[in-house]
Amino acid sequence: MADDKDVLRDVWFGRIPTCFTLNQDEVTEREAEAYYLLLPRVSYLTLVTDKVKKHFLKVMRTEDVEEMWFEYEGTPLKWHYPIGVLFDLHASNSVLPWSITVHFKNFPDRDLLHCPSSSVIEAHFMSSIKEADALKHKSQVVNDMQKKDHKQLWMGLQNDKFDQFWAMNRKLMEYPTEEGGFRYIPFRIYQAMSDRPFIQKLFRPVSPEGNAYTLGDLLKEMYPAAITNDGEQKRYQVVIHGIEPLLETPLQWLSEHLSHPDNFLHICVVPTPSD
Amino acid sequence: MAERRGECLWKKHVAEQLKLRDREQRQAFEEIILQYNRLLEKADLQAVLSERYQADKYDVQRGHESSAADSSRSDALQQEMAQMRIRHQEELTELHKKRGELAQSVIELNNQIQQKDREIQNNEAKMLEYQQQISSLEGDCRELRSCLQDLERANQTLKDEYDALQITFSALEEKLRKTTEDNQELVSRWMAEKAQEANRLNAENEKDSRRRQAKLQKELADAAKEPLPIEADDDIEVLTEDAGKAGGETSPSRLLTRTPSKKISQQPPGGLLDSISLMFGYVGVCVCVRVSVCMSVCVSVRAGSGSSVLDHLAHSSALSLSLSHTLTGHSGKVLSARFLLDNARIVSGSYDRTLKLWDLRSKVCMKTVFAGSSCNDIVCTEQCVMSGHFDKKVRFWDIRAESIVRELELFGRVTSLDLNHDRTELLTCSRDDLVKIVDLRTNAVKQTLSAQGFKCGADWTRVTFSPDGSYVAGGSADGALYIWNVLTGKVDRTLDRNHSSAINSVSWSPSGAYVASVEKGSRAILWSDM
Repeated sequence: MADDKDVLRDVWFGRIPTCFTLNQDEVTEREAEAYYLLLPRVSYLTLVTDKVKKHFLKVMRTEDVEEMWFEYEGTPLKWHYPIGVLFDLHASNSVLPWSITVHFKNFPDRDLLHCPSSSVIEAHFMSSIKEADALKHKSQVVNDMQKKDHKQLWMGLQNDKFDQFWAMNRKLMEYPTEEGGFRYIPFRIYQAMSDRPFIQKLFRPVSPEGNAYTLGDLLKEMYPAAITNDGEQKRYQVVIHGIEPLLETPLQWLSEHLSHPDNFLHICVVPTPSD
Repeated sequence: MAERRGECLWKKHVAEQLKLRDREQRQAFEEIILQYNRLLEKADLQAVLSERYQADKYDVQRGHESSAADSSRSDALQQEMAQMRIRHQEELTELHKKRGELAQSVIELNNQIQQKDREIQNNEAKMLEYQQQISSLEGDCRELRSCLQDLERANQTLKDEYDALQITFSALEEKLRKTTEDNQELVSRWMAEKAQEANRLNAENEKDSRRRQAKLQKELADAAKEPLPIEADDDIEVLTEDAGKAGGETSPSRLLTRTPSKKISQQPPGGLLDSISLMFGYVGVCVCVRVSVCMSVCVSVRAGSGSSVLDHLAHSSALSLSLSHTLTGHSGKVLSARFLLDNARIVSGSYDRTLKLWDLRSKVCMKTVFAGSSCNDIVCTEQCVMSGHFDKKVRFWDIRAESIVRELELFGRVTSLDLNHDRTELLTCSRDDLVKIVDLRTNAVKQTLSAQGFKCGADWTRVTFSPDGSYVAGGSADGALYIWNVLTGKVDRTLDRNHSSAINSVSWSPSGAYVASVEKGSRAILWSDM
């Protein structure tokens, strides 16, 4: 289905315009200009911000540089969330470009994980894939894959190679036809204001009768407050990859096409902006 | 259907939403961010460049401050030029050094080249030498090869000649063999023919003798009928006493008979000779006469000069005297024959250098002994046969052993042997005109008899003992008969008047009263009163 392929491409190549500004408290030799960058939605912050670091290091003295970390409007940005998730969650309705503040000092250990090298990001990414496949196929598919296949997945993400990545990833999107779908749908529901980081539960894509569950069904199950009852004003927006899919969209289809590269369906529920 | 529509709906919604999003979020900012980043890079570059220029300007400013304000520029220039000059001089010196080094290397290379040239010349000279050597060796080689070829050819020709000669030789050998075979065949045929002839002659002789006998008997019968007158001068002469040279001793004083051979005459008491002469009317000279004890007579006759000789033997009773048998076998003339003491065997010596022993009963030759030289005379004792030879030796043979027991060498060819009565002494006559008496026990010459006129005329001249052994008689070549006295060793008597030619043989009668001598001129003389 050509549309599905286009959907996949659009999902992969999604970008967020970002403006990186150095924190004023940072000691600089001269004034640092802001750095603008189009960040890929599906990647991770620490993976794509080498240029940002280099740019700001030009104006900084080496002894002042510690590990770089980002924050948006006071909120430290967790690098292990996909960038798209971070944007949708925190700044989906704000003015573009997304203004991120770059810090080099005072790393918030309580809020953020350290990221010393790209292998850490790789490990996190692979563990997400394995977790997702455990839910989908009881880890059979991912365990049948060889190490080089896993590497190919990572390299595809790192180098922004759609074909290289999906050559392997389609295996993870297969399911035995008699099942009608995955065993369980790997998803996470993020809330803007919540104590919990996200909601993740077991949810089958197909009902015992054989009906395919939809996004609405999932929300009804997991986060009923997100669903607008008839007559009410829409209080919450259900955002996936920066768009609001219809609630009738089948969950299985969503999992197959709108998952992030880590095979999870990241759903952000944000309050509707009140103009 | 509804599902499909439904499906399309939400899918389309999703797709639309994505497109919208991209338009808003990406496309709106993409170009701006790109250009912004480029400007940022340029700004960075400009900043870096300006920094560098600032630094340069600062340096230059510092240079300016140290010198005077007006001449600052010219001073700077001068300094610059000085610096340049210094730099150029340095370069110049460096270049000079380099040039020196290069010149040095050039010289060295030239030297090397010269050396190499010299080496090359040496090598070429050596090569030339070697080539000359090679050519000379090649010449030698060729010469040697041609030499070798010549030698081979010569060898080949020699081989061919040799082969040819070999062939001729074998052919000649073959021919020789054939001729020898033919020769032998011819010889045997001739011998056979001669034997036949001998047989024929024997037969004739037999016939002849029988005829004669018959005739004789008839004549005797006739003669018995009439008395015979004795005629005085009928070939019988009576000699006077002074006929011979006297030595003062008794000697035969009368010649009893002088009987030419081939003549029939009456029967004198010593009519042995007559009958002999009557019977054997052969061409030839009667060489010797031997009288055996039982009166069998064995006569050896030299028949002409032929080599085939017939040895005639007469077995007879005391008076019959007829030819009994002929023994053939010798290949040369038979010079002597003797009865062995047992009277059954005869030993004969011949010119063919052999002695043959004949058996009378079987009438064949029992043994043949090679003597080495022609045997002139033979005598025999019970065990021993003595033969005198042409080679001046007297050989003593053992009869049973058929081998030489002893040899006795004399100074001349031995012509005659004789034994005395008791067989202790051997009488030899040799061509050196000496008659020797050898003592058989000591084997030494006991006595030598010689006489002034005594010459041994032929190889078969016979001398003889008297029956009592006291006298020796021998005939000389001048026809004189010498009698030696053994005891004195001197000539006892010389009877020289009656023989006209050389005396061949003499013989004493057993009684000792008579001596018979025969001469070359076919005359026999009987001497009496010995």
